[in-house]
Amino acid sequence: MSVLVCENLQKSFPSRGRSTRAVQGVSLRVEPGEVLAFLGPNGAGKTTTIKMIAGLVRPDAGTVRVAGRDPHRDPWALRQLGAVLEGNRNVYWRLTPLENLEYFGVLRGLSAAEARHRGRALLERFDLTDKQNALTQQLSRGMQQKLAIAVSLVHEPSLLLLDEPTLGLDVEAAETVKQLIHELAEDGQAIVFTTHHLDVAQQLSHRVAIIREGRIVAEDHTDALLVRFSGEQYEIEVVGKIDAARRERLRALGAEPLDGRVVYLGAPEGLWDVLEALRPLPILRVEKDRADLTEVFLKLIREEERA
Amino acid sequence: MLRLIGIEFKRGLLMLRRYPMEMVGQLIVITMIFYGLFLGARYIAGPTAQFGERLDALVVGYVLWTFALFAIGDLSWGLMDEARTGTLEQVFLSPYGPSRVYLARNVAGLLVTLALNLGILLLIQLLTGVRLDFSPAVLAPLGAVLLGAYGIGFMLGALALLFKRIQAFLNLFQFVLMFLIMTPFEQFSGTARLAGELLPMTIGAGQLRALMARGEAFDPVVFGLALASGLAYLIVGLWVFDCAVRAAKERGLLGGY
Repeated sequence: MSVLVCENLQKSFPSRGRSTRAVQGVSLRVEPGEVLAFLGPNGAGKTTTIKMIAGLVRPDAGTVRVAGRDPHRDPWALRQLGAVLEGNRNVYWRLTPLENLEYFGVLRGLSAAEARHRGRALLERFDLTDKQNALTQQLSRGMQQKLAIAVSLVHEPSLLLLDEPTLGLDVEAAETVKQLIHELAEDGQAIVFTTHHLDVAQQLSHRVAIIREGRIVAEDHTDALLVRFSGEQYEIEVVGKIDAARRERLRALGAEPLDGRVVYLGAPEGLWDVLEALRPLPILRVEKDRADLTEVFLKLIREEERA
Repeated sequence: MLRLIGIEFKRGLLMLRRYPMEMVGQLIVITMIFYGLFLGARYIAGPTAQFGERLDALVVGYVLWTFALFAIGDLSWGLMDEARTGTLEQVFLSPYGPSRVYLARNVAGLLVTLALNLGILLLIQLLTGVRLDFSPAVLAPLGAVLLGAYGIGFMLGALALLFKRIQAFLNLFQFVLMFLIMTPFEQFSGTARLAGELLPMTIGAGQLRALMARGEAFDPVVFGLALASGLAYLIVGLWVFDCAVRAAKERGLLGGY
């Protein structure tokens, strides 16, 4: 069974006497163990969608199912969901990490003893054991964010929602949180996360959904999306100068010799002939042009803007 | 529910411990007021909290006044604070639902306040040698009044959820509370009495006056009415709060301040 199924979610908010359509027909699906990066520019509808999934914003139309249950009709569907929300502290700064874990564990349906037990295990896993009795407000921003993630996992939810988990963190803390998300994903935790750090999204996600002005403009497996937006050209870097005869031969094969490198735009099997033509020059690198998620994202957003 | 009350009680105590100066301040104020009352300084409880001339009436009046104020305002102050600091949405992610969580928080808060007040009261009785002498029957209408106060507290909590900043309104509500608790509707007649007794907390407050100021016997029928009124206001308060939760989710108001 899918961990998350959203179908045709719609949400409008009143704004200055008019209605602004924040989310228009968003459908998402997340399978167990899958990590979905939910990307989009500011105001695109990411947070509204995340909050509709979490039952915090009621959709005007459409359905949400978390592990088969609708959090808007059945409050115990929230038992299957953990969330770290952007712009929020998410935890009580005047409590210690262990007290926060115990408190929110009970709030999510555990007994106090169970919440304490799981809380200790999470603190150990997240390398926060030595801080378990320190006040949360005294922890670094990165540790506070790790604690917020630990708290969202204390009741072992099927789905974890992370809204901008690396926002406002310094480089080191962001790396730590990124590593943590990576480990959770490797352990099979289904995660939906939003981020403006597209390199993070590329590294961590199995699938990507891009939203713009409330509509999903692309959704695919991360690798498939990257391939789809990658060019067909190969670039070959060589050591030494390419002589005139070789240049002529390369051009005949459809390759363009440049300074220290050759760009080939023909059929993939023709690449062997290009390499043969370069023999015996030492080859440093052969690389197919591959888009990164930033290029894909910008391309899609700009295409949509033009349309 | 007991599990929720337990964890909210623990959280309440921990929060108190983490604000030591605030706790010490509260203890000093409560001690000074009770000590003043015991030494005969009637005025210290203010004109709003007197159910008679005797010391026990003054103490009960003062306790009712402070507890009712606490019951009415605590939820709203808490909601405003949590919306500002950003823990409100995490509380709303509980499968128990916000009404049950905040009801448990109210009960736990009442227990903490009760423990503080009773502890100090007992200590002062030991120190001064003065004994309070009132019938335990007084506790029944007091409880009924508090039920109504919590009902009003949930209604104000609904406003806090939708409008975020209602501090000025909450301060103004002291005067409403004064009117509800101190107006002797039970001595009115006809429609005025009926209208007055339909208001929250008035029947219980009237019974307290009858017991403590006029020395009348405990009337179970009046208590039944006070209890029914308290429960009705609590149920209506919870219903209004649930409606506000739905409206806040509809308009996406939970995260903002």
